Formats: sequence, C-alpha cells, structure tokens
Amino acid sequence: MTNVYVMEKIPEKIIIPLKQHDGCLCTPLVSKGDMVAMGQKIGECECYDSASVHSSVCGEVISIEETANPNGSKVNSIIIQPAEAVECVDLTPVKDVSASKLVDVIKDAGIVEHYGTPTHKVLRPEGKQIDTVLINATSSEWIGGHYDTSAQYASQMIDALKLLMKAAGASKGAVVLRNDDLESINAFDHLRVDGKLLTVAPLMGKRKLSYYFKNMGSDIIVVSQERIYGQKILDLLTYNLTGRRVSFCCDPTDVGVAICGVKSAKALYDAVHEGRPYIETVVSVSGKVNSPKKILVKIGTPFKDVIDACGGYMGDTGKLIANGAVTGVAQYTDDVPVTKMTTSITVLSADEVIRDVSIDCTHCARCVDVCPVNLIPSRITAFADQGRFDECRQMNILNCVECGRCSAVCPSKIHLLQLIRYAKNSIENAYEDLSSKESPANLKLGCGCSGGK
Amino acid sequence: MTFTISAPPHKKENITFKKIMWAKVLALMPAVLLSVYLFGLPAIGLVAASIFAAIATEAAIQKAFGQKITIADGHAVLIGLMVAMIIPPEVPLWIPMIGTVFAVGIGKHAFGGIGSYVFNPVLAAWLFLSLAWGSIMAPASYPQTSALFELVLENGAGVMAGVSPFFILLAGAVLIFRRYIEWRIPVAFFVTTVLLAFLLGDSLSYVVLGVVVFGVLFIATDTSTSPTTKNGRVIYGIVCGVLVVVYGHFANYVDGTFYGLFLANCVASLIDNNTLPASYGTETFLQCKYRSIVSKIPFKDRLEVFLDD
Repeated sequence: MTNVYVMEKIPEKIIIPLKQHDGCLCTPLVSKGDMVAMGQKIGECECYDSASVHSSVCGEVISIEETANPNGSKVNSIIIQPAEAVECVDLTPVKDVSASKLVDVIKDAGIVEHYGTPTHKVLRPEGKQIDTVLINATSSEWIGGHYDTSAQYASQMIDALKLLMKAAGASKGAVVLRNDDLESINAFDHLRVDGKLLTVAPLMGKRKLSYYFKNMGSDIIVVSQERIYGQKILDLLTYNLTGRRVSFCCDPTDVGVAICGVKSAKALYDAVHEGRPYIETVVSVSGKVNSPKKILVKIGTPFKDVIDACGGYMGDTGKLIANGAVTGVAQYTDDVPVTKMTTSITVLSADEVIRDVSIDCTHCARCVDVCPVNLIPSRITAFADQGRFDECRQMNILNCVECGRCSAVCPSKIHLLQLIRYAKNSIENAYEDLSSKESPANLKLGCGCSGGK
Repeated sequence: MTFTISAPPHKKENITFKKIMWAKVLALMPAVLLSVYLFGLPAIGLVAASIFAAIATEAAIQKAFGQKITIADGHAVLIGLMVAMIIPPEVPLWIPMIGTVFAVGIGKHAFGGIGSYVFNPVLAAWLFLSLAWGSIMAPASYPQTSALFELVLENGAGVMAGVSPFFILLAGAVLIFRRYIEWRIPVAFFVTTVLLAFLLGDSLSYVVLGVVVFGVLFIATDTSTSPTTKNGRVIYGIVCGVLVVVYGHFANYVDGTFYGLFLANCVASLIDNNTLPASYGTETFLQCKYRSIVSKIPFKDRLEVFLDD
C-alpha cells in the first residue's frame, strides 16, 4: 500500500484557474475582496462542456487575473489568500438520487477526467448513448485518493463504478487494472459485489470484454491488461477492451464507451457519500526533491509549496515537469497551481536536461520496434517534416497514442513526437470546420461511427 | 529559480548514432587482432591505410561542400575498417585506399550521406575493386571449415573478415543483445542460407564461413540499406539468404555473400514499401475470408451468439 501523505501546511496563496478542463472558461461568481468558504462554488459553467470550479480553502479573494497554468498557457484565475479560520460550506451527502440528478451532482462537484473532459460529458454526451463504463486504473498513479486499506480502495472503486453506470445509464461496467500491479489485483480479488465473488481476469489474446461479461455472468467485472501509456490512449484502450474502432474526429463516447479515471471515480464517490466537491487531489512528486512521495493537496496549491512539502529541491534544478517525464509539460515557473488535470510533478536536475542535436535518420527501425500501435514513426516523421500530411494520414498517424517511446529510443535524436503532434494538429485543424464547409445540400459526411457495428 | 522548458519526452535512452558506430568498430577488433596473427603485420597496414583514406575522404568532401564535419561519429572509420576486412591482405596498399575513397565518396556521400545511400558503401567498394582489379582482388585461398577448431581460427581464410566465424558471431551476438543491431534480418538470413544450402546439397563446411557470418551480422544489418518494417526485415533476410545461396551454389560462398547482399540492397526499399503495417484492428486476409464465408450462412443470427466471443 503506497502511503499518501496529506499536505498540512496551508500555502500563502491559492490559485484556482477558471478552466481546469478542455472546454469553455467558467464565469467567476465572486469578485475581489469577497470572503469565500472551503468548498464554495466560485466559478459557474455556462455551456455543457465545462465543469464548475470550487474554492479549496477559506479566505479572501485578492485578485482575478491571468496566471500561468501547468498546460503551458495563461488562464484567468481566482487568487485566494487563505484566512486563519477554517470555514466550510455545508456538505450534504446526496444518496439515492435519480440518474439525471446524479449527472447534475457530477457537474456541480466539478469532476473532470485527468485527460481533460468533464466527467458528466463523458457519461452523458449529447446525442449519444453509453452502454459500457470503464474505470482505467492502468496508469502508474493508481491511488487517486486517500484510502486506509487497499480493500477500501477496491470497494470504493466498485461503488463508484456503480454510480458512474447509473449516471451514464449504462448496463455494463468494468475496472481495468494492469497485469503487473499485483497490489490492486489482490485488492479486487475475492471482493464481494452483490453477493457474487469477483475474480480479476487477465485479458487474453483477442478476447474482448463482451466475452468476460458473458463468461462471468455479471455486469460488473474487473480485468487486467498490459500497461499502455501515452497522451491519447483512449482510442487504443477502447479497441483493446471492447473491439470497437473509434473513427477520426470521434472519441470513445461515439461508440458507446465512457472511460473514467481512478481520480474522478474517487471524486464522484466523495461527492455522493460526503457531498464534497472536487477540491483536493493526490499528486505524486518524484525526481530530484528531498523526499519524493504521493501527497494529497488542495487544488490550486502552487507547485512551489507542494515541492516544499516534499522537502524542497535537491541540488541544481533543471526542469520542472507536470504529468510525467515522458509526455508531460515542462514548466517555466514553479508558481503554477495544481489543477484537476495534474497527476504528477517531476523534478529533473540540471545535468539530466537533454541537449541533443538531431542528425539524419539512419532507418535503424528502433522506433518501429517500440511503437505500441504498429506505425512506422521514422517515415511518418519524414513526411511530417516536409508538410505531407495526407501521406501521414494514410500511414495511420491518427492511431498514434503519443507515448513518446519513438523519440526516447532514437539514436539520431530526431524529435519524432513533436513532428507527429505537429502533423496531427494540422490534420485536425484542417477537418475542424468540416461540417460548416459541407452545406446540407451536399453529400452528408458523418464521422462514420455507428456504435461500433 | 530558472527552469529549462522543452517539448516532451524529457527522458531519453542514452543511445546515439556515434555510440552504435564505435561499438561496431570495437566489436570487430577481435577479428582484426586474429588476422594480424594469421596474416602478419601487413594486415595492420591495410587497416590503417583504409581507415586513413576513409577519414580523409569524408573530411575533404564535407569541407568542400561546407557541411558539418562528422568524422567523430565513427561511420567513416567503420567503412574503412570493413572495406579492409573484405579484401585480401596481401594486396598493395593503394587498393584499400582507392576502395575506401570510392566507398565514402561515391557509395556514401554521392547518395546523400548517412541514412540516404541505397547500396552499402562497403559492398559498393568491393564490387568496384573486384571489377577493376579482378586478379589482385582474388583471395589466395577459399576457406573451408572442416574441423570444429576452424570455427574459431579459420586457416584457409582469404580475407580478414573470414579469420574467425566464432568471434564475429560473438561480437554480433553482443551487439544484438545490446540492441545496437537488430535480430530479424540476421536470423532470417542465416536460417534461409543454411536451409537452402542443405537442400541443394552444399556441404555446410563451405557455408558456415567467417565471411558469411560477417555478411549476416555486419553487412546485411546496415540500417540504411535494409527495410524498416518488421515483416519487411524478415523478408529481406530471406531474400538475402536466397540470393547468397544462388551465387554461392554456382561459385563460392565468399563472393556469393557480397554479390547476393548487393543485389538484396536493390530490393530493400521495394520490400519496405510493400510491407507497411495496417492500422491496428484491421482484419487480416484470412479473417476477411472467414467473415465473408460466415456472412453467407443463412441462419447467422443464431450463430452470432457464438461468433461474438
């Protein structure tokens, strides 16, 4: 059981970005000089694709201004100076509510998936029907919250899965673990769900979830699979688990699959059972800090204070990275806040910073050997470099999960991941306003998704 | 506090092109030392002259065209060393020098430098020298590994690459283990060669030679002249094997290796273009056939219960 520490010290200021998800900005409900209580809603969402924002401390709003965000841009944020007194809004558990009410609970609690989509949008996408809910626990930060025992983790996850299924109106749900994560597998094994014993089933060969649902005679199952990682793993994960292909410009919700993370599942459990909105999150701090650990922090805590709570920097600091050393974003300042999308902070020392000069590709095919989705990264990169995006697309560049393994193993030090992202962005931008270009009189070009059939 | 910012990934493997090249040079050293023992000091002179000419050519060309001088990456040194290893050690010193000038100048830089050449520069140089000075380039003897000991020290070796199949194999195995060279080509190549030679009735003592092993592990795996796709590399290995046996069966396996590999280089990009992998989840040919047959079954609705799994 990994110990999760709780950050006791209240930082000098809390920065709460009004946008902690992919979608539109929230409107602030407070103004400068107002006193706010812990858990008070301070940002309201107007459109469907955004989630509310809550104050994680009790204090005074000292300003509302644009500040640095861990994703690299600047976002309008509410800066709060914590007060001595701890005043909390009334937390009322919301048990036994209807499915549509539950979606409102999720929206009001401001629950957001770690990949950016608000959870209520994943569960109840407009005009789509979800039939399977998956909790993806394959990432390394499996403990997305503060638990006493691993059995508690397992039972809370199952409860959260039931809530998620209820909110989505889905009939089937699964928790997906990692094959080598024995701790979680042991936690879930022999757990009783509705009087039935759970068994963790490893995914074998070409068998998909439908087989396991039938085989176990249950609508809630726990399976384990190989570790996959990357920025855009959702499509691959959907295919691996359900056999449904997600077309271009679509997401798993188009084929009836909702993928949630451990963190949002835990946040939902808390929101329902304790009435607490999503105001704190577990961040794992690693690298060159004096005592690396997993730590429970309030959302909006600056990275600086999180690192101080982990013993401060060790030696010369070179890089500060949010969300993992492989695919994360390097920060230019440590004054950025922890947001709902932050899962880890990595500190690299000055001599770990890579300074490489790219040379020509030697076609050594190391990138081909490590690619998890069978691409030819070297060739795609050559096309991307020349701006030949159609050819990139023909070579299935859109399958790329952006795991960065190709860049990591390249002996010529070519920036494969960057070039692939560049090409992908260009392709996506080209198709962004497709529907407006296509007048209704013309042939209707849909996304081609038909519920996976 | 200042932080460096850059695009991900922020951690990379500590592998460079330079490292791979020097590792290959180092891996060939046991064979060079053994050939000094076998052929005497002229072998050293041959290697030195060859490497010197390779470095000088590379520097001159890059200087003349205003490019960055990349002698330090070891590629020129490797070309020089490998050219010296596949010509008979008793030739006059100007032969390896002309050979490496051709290898680096025409074989490598005329095609656009590392990663762009179509034919392995070493093979191109060997072919050029063999065609131009056939009588000088004919080795004094063609080897046969008749005893097991000859696998370690091949007495009848005509060129330096052939002195020790065992040490070349060991060096290649270490490089494969460190993932400096890849395994699909050598395995497919070697299995095809041995199998075909056996079927054609060639004695394996003429096939398992230092030169063949050298070709399998060091020439065929040259990254620029071999396909990049996974299936393509297996096919390329098989093509190499077939061509080497075709030449070797009708002539000898020393010349056969070089000619066969040179011809295989010609089809490498053809193989590459025709073995591009499909998107994940694409049905293979057999699965398509199976599905098309199943879809014709009239009562498939009932069958689907089983087919769904």
